[in-house]
Amino acid sequence: MMQQTSDKQWFDQLVMELRLRQVHGSAIGDTIASAKELLNDTGQQAEEAFGSARDYAAALELPSAPKHEWVRKALWPALLGLLAFLLFNQAVVSWTRQELLLVSPAQLILLATPVVLIAFLPFYLDAVIRRIWVCVGITAICMLSGLFSAFATPTNRAEAWLALDPLPWLIGGALVMVVLSLRNTVRSFHSEDDDDITSPLSGPTESTGAGARAMVQVTNWLFPILALAMLGLALAFR
Amino acid sequence: MDVSNSGPQTTGSEDWPSDWLRATLGFLALRALSAGPSYGYAIISELERHGFGTIKGGTLYPLLTRYETAGLVTTEWRAGAGGPGRKYFALTDQGRAELTRLSADWRRFATISTDYLNP
Repeated sequence: MMQQTSDKQWFDQLVMELRLRQVHGSAIGDTIASAKELLNDTGQQAEEAFGSARDYAAALELPSAPKHEWVRKALWPALLGLLAFLLFNQAVVSWTRQELLLVSPAQLILLATPVVLIAFLPFYLDAVIRRIWVCVGITAICMLSGLFSAFATPTNRAEAWLALDPLPWLIGGALVMVVLSLRNTVRSFHSEDDDDITSPLSGPTESTGAGARAMVQVTNWLFPILALAMLGLALAFR
Repeated sequence: MDVSNSGPQTTGSEDWPSDWLRATLGFLALRALSAGPSYGYAIISELERHGFGTIKGGTLYPLLTRYETAGLVTTEWRAGAGGPGRKYFALTDQGRAELTRLSADWRRFATISTDYLNP
């Protein structure tokens, strides 16, 4: 049991290390299957046969996608979605109260903080994944900046740096979120973008169940779902 | 190649300096494939049986992966009988030529070294 647990941890870490190196899912599946084949033959533990998962992943030198392809394919759309969601949230309260959308410089900086932190994610992604305190710290900064931005909202027009009609921002934010979610939904059904980990003999091994597919769609529509919840709350408490 | 078909030479495990194995493992692995397609454990067993000690999977697989990328070996998954599948490695023509070249170079180097050690 102990061996199975430590081997499972080793394989989980190997998958993470190979994912960090942008190795394609089919190559990861092949690597896992060949490692399991040898362990099955020798009865060794994974760490004993292959060394640390990190060193083994590095030693394999498997072909990888261009280093920043995921930035173009995943990060920029996610960032745009976050920006649209933040704008929608700012506009929705003003719109339900039939007020102007008032913005102060401090509020703008606080709202920009999570956007900037995510934009620079490629530079410190390894640290976020390998060190839990970095991940917790970044999450805390994002949450606190969102919280403090609420306190930095101007109470009257004299304090505001910008006074805008909230409706165009509300509609614009909603449109961007829906378009991005539709795009992600179409891409997730498109087989060419399929990067699931697949076994070389029996096909897909992970993320193929109905639950996993539903989870992908919930993730694709996360911002519109949260935005609808915010709209409901704003209408309820206006 | 099959592990059960053990050859006549059984010299037992040796604890060679790791530098020596690092330098020679490449063409030794190619040699282990010269008789026909083989899989990880069979290659390790073949080398162990011939006295090179136990080669770890963490050493062998990265080497074979690099050889696959370089076109020296090809791979094929074959379903196992009642068990998991096996990944078979096979020499390509380029791999066979490389084995011939490296073997000749090594024999020349070994002769020179031996001559020097036994004046």
